[in-house]
Amino acid sequence: MDDEHTAWYKEPCALCSAVDWGVSDEGRFYCRSCHTVIERTKEVVDSTFTPGSNRVSTIGRGPRNKRTEGGRQWMICEGFQFILRNQADALLRLGVGPSFKDEALCELWRLYLQKSRQAYTHNPVRTSRFKVRGPDSDSESAAESSVMSASETDGETNPPSTIGSTAESSSEWSQCSGSVDAVSYLSPRLRRSRGLMSMKKTLALIHLALTWSREPLTLSDLLRLVNEGHVPYVNAYEELPDEMKLEGKDALLFRVESVPSHQLVHKEAQSLVLLLQLPAFPPISRQTLLHPALLSLRYLTDANLPDELHPWVCRVMERAGMADQTLHTFDRLSHPVLPLYDVQAAALIIVTMKLIFGLDDHAEWDLSNQTGDLDDSGNLFNLRRWYRLLRAALTRAQQRRDHDVARKQWIAENPLSSSKRDKRVVVKRKRIAEQVQICFQKLSRGPAGGERGDPSSFRFCWGDEDGADGPSLHHKKLSGVLTLQHNVLTPSNSTYWHPALRACNPRTCRSHYSDVEATLPRTFVWLLQLFCFLLDVKPAFLYEEVLKVERRVINSTAARSPETKTGTRTRTRAQRRTPQRGQETG
Amino acid sequence: MEDLETETRCPEDLEDDNDSSDDNSTKRRKKSNLLLVKPMFVEKPMETGFQQTTRICLEQIREALLHHRWQEAAEYMAYYPQILENTSHSKAQQNKEVIWRISTEILHHHPNSKIEDYNNIYERMKHSGVKHYLMICLEHSFHLMLSGHIEDAKRQLSLAEGWRHGKESAAQYQRTKLIHAYRGLLDYIIWCDKKVTHCNTDLSDPRDSQELQNYFRQASVNLKEILKSPGVWDSFILSYVEMLEFYEDHEEALQILNDYAYDNTFPPNPNAHVFLYQYLKQHGTSDRKLMKVLKNLHVIVPSHEMMLDYSSFLLQSEKKSDLQKALGVVLEMLDFACWRSNLDAWKRLKAIIQKLQLQEDWKDVVSLKMAARKDWWPALHFTSFHASKDSEENPELMEVKASLTKILCPVTKIDRRHNIGNTYCPTIICTYLPNA
Repeated sequence: MDDEHTAWYKEPCALCSAVDWGVSDEGRFYCRSCHTVIERTKEVVDSTFTPGSNRVSTIGRGPRNKRTEGGRQWMICEGFQFILRNQADALLRLGVGPSFKDEALCELWRLYLQKSRQAYTHNPVRTSRFKVRGPDSDSESAAESSVMSASETDGETNPPSTIGSTAESSSEWSQCSGSVDAVSYLSPRLRRSRGLMSMKKTLALIHLALTWSREPLTLSDLLRLVNEGHVPYVNAYEELPDEMKLEGKDALLFRVESVPSHQLVHKEAQSLVLLLQLPAFPPISRQTLLHPALLSLRYLTDANLPDELHPWVCRVMERAGMADQTLHTFDRLSHPVLPLYDVQAAALIIVTMKLIFGLDDHAEWDLSNQTGDLDDSGNLFNLRRWYRLLRAALTRAQQRRDHDVARKQWIAENPLSSSKRDKRVVVKRKRIAEQVQICFQKLSRGPAGGERGDPSSFRFCWGDEDGADGPSLHHKKLSGVLTLQHNVLTPSNSTYWHPALRACNPRTCRSHYSDVEATLPRTFVWLLQLFCFLLDVKPAFLYEEVLKVERRVINSTAARSPETKTGTRTRTRAQRRTPQRGQETG
Repeated sequence: MEDLETETRCPEDLEDDNDSSDDNSTKRRKKSNLLLVKPMFVEKPMETGFQQTTRICLEQIREALLHHRWQEAAEYMAYYPQILENTSHSKAQQNKEVIWRISTEILHHHPNSKIEDYNNIYERMKHSGVKHYLMICLEHSFHLMLSGHIEDAKRQLSLAEGWRHGKESAAQYQRTKLIHAYRGLLDYIIWCDKKVTHCNTDLSDPRDSQELQNYFRQASVNLKEILKSPGVWDSFILSYVEMLEFYEDHEEALQILNDYAYDNTFPPNPNAHVFLYQYLKQHGTSDRKLMKVLKNLHVIVPSHEMMLDYSSFLLQSEKKSDLQKALGVVLEMLDFACWRSNLDAWKRLKAIIQKLQLQEDWKDVVSLKMAARKDWWPALHFTSFHASKDSEENPELMEVKASLTKILCPVTKIDRRHNIGNTYCPTIICTYLPNA
């Protein structure tokens, strides 16, 4: 019955030397005398095959070609893994502690792979066309273990063999992309699930790992390092190993044209944290550098504000109930919002300055006039002097930043192109651009690409050295703006203004800053812009955070108003702030 | 050439704009009712980092160019070409053109720019796209021509002539024509050089030189071709005529000059008539024919300097009508302010009037011609201000004018009370305007 399949095969059996072959149920040849199964399978004639309908119209040497060129087949998540590793290494070189990479980032990455069902799982998120083939999984798992960091995958004894898979019609994929699964990665079904990796997510993951390790690198610091090129992001794919060839649709995943904004990365991090279902983060106590108590000190220094302002900031923080560590620690159950350390610290400082200086375009200048009259030795902090200094420094810094932005080179040395047809065009354009560049470099006698200065946590440099932005005002005293009332130091300023409140739907309304901005005092707006420059966020965002902090301060004092014995200051404040909606001045 | 470049320059560079490059300002929601020019460098709401970089870079380049800070412009230009590698196709052509034009502008003014830089940039930008290949070829060869590299310029044009790119080259046929024309002009320039060297070195008749004749043939093919298309081809026609004169092909020269002057499809060009007139005069044509040419010129440009010649022809002719025409011609000349102080024109007028006065009806003739002018001619020529000026600068002119005043503007009122100081005519007072 199966003679027609085996009649032509005349090889003797290795065991019994008989020539008597049959075909088993699985389609393999077996020797009828000794029942050994050999590798040969019966040729199946697929009657449903119609030439031209299947994309594979040629017996391709496609995958073989890839092998002979030295490339190998790779998955998209492998690529991202390499990029993450490079980013983490860059951060380690900048001084972040190694536990960030080994304990936090690697674990998060593995957890992510598991939760998004790309690895470490029994049912990977893939289309059914992928089948497991024997020979390839060895190379894949070997590669897999080679890219893992030092710490072992203990407990995960089941290496992700599902990763090592080849498509049946692999030549089809290889025409579209260098990686094996780029096309499926980009499929609408998988994209809708929102679990898939993207370049933005690498930054979000790193931010989570940094927060987990309680490193004092905030999100704005991270983004600034990325912008300045100290952490690979734009053209990060260039550092992938040579065997991983990027072509075609890979470009859509790995090529970036912007560095994402603060808000965007924060949103990604938030959704990632929910996807990963992380347990409670290590607590951020007052001693941690991410806590507003200490982070605000850093921003005060950067903004050249006197150190004496710091205790006031802490006071406001306590009054707003923000000293508590639970507010700053992410917990899925009790506090499922990822805190914005940098923006909150800046908002606290702004609210403190509002309290002490008024910042309504009149009070602060009156105060500085008074200080000027009082001051003989020049030891008192004068807001006017500070403002002039900072305004000049800010303008210069903004110009420098524009200068750097204009010079930033976004195109890689070997640019990716989405299709083979475009590749020729891309190479040609690159040549032309390079030639024009060389011509003008020769003319201007300057190097191309922005020079990367040494990375620094601080945007400004205050002091007397060369290259400083101005003299330091950190040691100045606040006595000019404080008075002694009932033996307690109080700010001389007794006014506080607040923009009009309105009932909005928190879901749909983002920010009313653009409407309100024209009515706000100019000093306040300028102060917002200063901190926005330090943190590289949008003014509207910071403004909303300032409002939130104010709300906390107001609510907490209102709750305490029945206690009349506690300090006169509390009472006076509560009396002033009760109820009216609208602008209030003292 | 400069005008051609500024006219065809990208409109970006010429527009006045208000930069809203403040990163911190929010987008203005209200639309202004004033007629404001659309701002050029506006941050789009969904701008990528790459777009932001190129926008700011272009802003800086523009600022540097407008303030003539060429070194700074060159520095920024070293960072800008990455926009060429932008994958979007919508503005690819515009970007290439911007880079081409800005690069050449910077090279024009930068102190260290060399001809190699020009060549490099032109070559690169030429091959970056098909739509402007011919244009850049032309500009390149103009530049080489102006720097004296005639042979190189010609080589560039020859290369451009041989360029074919399907529909594109067919669509740009007008530029191709220009390329042929300039190639012809370059051949002529080379012919001139060779003629001079030949005359200096060789004793044989230059007309027999084969090399010269080759160049002449090459040039004439192209030049003749371009003269068939409507346009202003003054330089081309002059060079062609010069060569034809040298080889004594007078018929051909006359033919093309006539065509150039009288073809209605060509834009009206007074120079064409001038060329024809000069050629005919040189070759001894009858006065009647010359007058005919000048008559056409008179119609186009009544204030042309050739009108003096025309009026002298008319003066010398025997016909009575010609004399009246002469009067008309000179009066029309003097209608224009440029002839106001010209002694020759006034003398001519005086001669005509004198000859006219031999006829009986001269007063009628004069008043007929002056009918349309008597309201404003006194103010144009015969005020006391003119009198004082002429007496200082050109007394002879004053005499001539004075003698003509009462003839041209006969007085209807005599009012001695209006006799103010230095009037033009000491005895007659016309309706003068007061001193300006």
